[in-house]
Amino acid sequence: MARLFRLWEKKRGDRSTGSKFVGGLGEGLFFGVLFLLGSLSLAYLVAARLLGAMPPLYQPGFGFWLMVLVMISFMLIGGTGVVYTVLQVGASAERRSAMARRAADIELLSDAMPSRREYPTVPRDTNLTNSPGIRLAYRLPVTHGGPWVLFAATAFFLVWNGIATVLVLVVFQSHLSERPDWFLTVLVLPFAAIGIWATYYFVQQLLLHTGIGPTTVEISDHPLRPGESYQLFVSQAGRLNVKSLELSLVCEEETTYRQGTDIRTERCRVYCESIFIERDFQIDPGKAFECSCDLRVPDHAMHSFQASQNAVQWMLVARGHAASWPVFQRCFPVVVCPAEPRGEDG
Amino acid sequence: MMEPLLSIRLRDQRHPYQPGDALECAYQIDAVDAADIQSIEASVLWHTEGKGDEDLGVHYFERLEQGEVDGQDLRALRVLCTVLPNSPLTYPGVTLKIRWCVRVRAFLRRGKEVFFEQPFVLGSIPPAIPVLQPEPESDSQDDESDGMM
Repeated sequence: MARLFRLWEKKRGDRSTGSKFVGGLGEGLFFGVLFLLGSLSLAYLVAARLLGAMPPLYQPGFGFWLMVLVMISFMLIGGTGVVYTVLQVGASAERRSAMARRAADIELLSDAMPSRREYPTVPRDTNLTNSPGIRLAYRLPVTHGGPWVLFAATAFFLVWNGIATVLVLVVFQSHLSERPDWFLTVLVLPFAAIGIWATYYFVQQLLLHTGIGPTTVEISDHPLRPGESYQLFVSQAGRLNVKSLELSLVCEEETTYRQGTDIRTERCRVYCESIFIERDFQIDPGKAFECSCDLRVPDHAMHSFQASQNAVQWMLVARGHAASWPVFQRCFPVVVCPAEPRGEDG
Repeated sequence: MMEPLLSIRLRDQRHPYQPGDALECAYQIDAVDAADIQSIEASVLWHTEGKGDEDLGVHYFERLEQGEVDGQDLRALRVLCTVLPNSPLTYPGVTLKIRWCVRVRAFLRRGKEVFFEQPFVLGSIPPAIPVLQPEPESDSQDDESDGMM
């Protein structure tokens, strides 16, 4: 086991190479010193004020109250850190997890927990079954990163083009006044090019979100179980010349890990089966495309799984390509529970 | 100083276990003075392995402290029995693996601790295989056959 710290090393996750005891001791000392520093300094400040021996910098006013605030924050951070460190020392990961589980079993809390008691770590499907369908039992909610992409594209488009416009105006003014600033002129060219691309991307995203009509997926039953079949009803509205529209059942592993100070999330697709694909058809504004099909969950499918850092997620993915439009994709999460236990008589 | 010996034996060597099955397991710590053992923890738990940070969930947990056990020291053979839950099932994924095990941890004097675990399989989920995701441009090859433009 390595006993010395490497100078240049990017730490990953919770794995440590040194002694746990020494680490805990160091952590406790750090927070203890922080707490002492905060409490002693606060006591000094208050005492000095009461005794009238306040240094000029900390006379009652902004400086004094700022110092009080800083010292209180030192006390809170240090105190919380010491308590947390003490709780960690001498308690194994299993014991802490068992204590957390007992707390979760309290009736009041269990209703707010993300998974059902009979299927631990399988997420609840309450948010997926609270919207009844028109043709089938449930209309599945859609989740996609679209609004965030549009928001980011809009923010980038506005900020970048605002700066670029000012620079272009300055360049124009320098040229009109016959004192051209060639350095700035050359600098503005890539700025303007990126601005044009930002405009194109923003318009594309805007059209994608406003031009293509909603996709609706309804399902006959929920949650899903391995080996069972379900009916699906798919509807796509809008005014489109559709080249292809495909609905797939997809399973993805999602892992979250810390790398240094970064938190990264990775997804890995481990199952994808096309449920239906329709090519070359027209959707008119008054008449949405509608299709019914069957979905069968594979016999030995892994169930949905949700923990704090890792997940297995099942979803129906509608992926379409319409003429003059970029490819669009909409995801409808579903929950797959483990198969029902078979009886003794099989 | 010799390392203490921890042993765990699953009574029923079935492979794999199914949700609702009873898991019975005997465990023992040996090669250590009774006075050196402060406490023993036995747990049936799942934990994740793979690219993400570890998640851990305890299904069964018992802790025995020195002085709590009547007439016996903590080195005696003990048996734990629990009914296995419906989930999560053992999952041999690509970037995420879920493993089940019985773990026994012994806390010794001077802050020393040792642990041993015996893995077992819950459920029968086959290994996952990564699937390539379609490229956004892949549909454009249909352009030639598009007669509805």
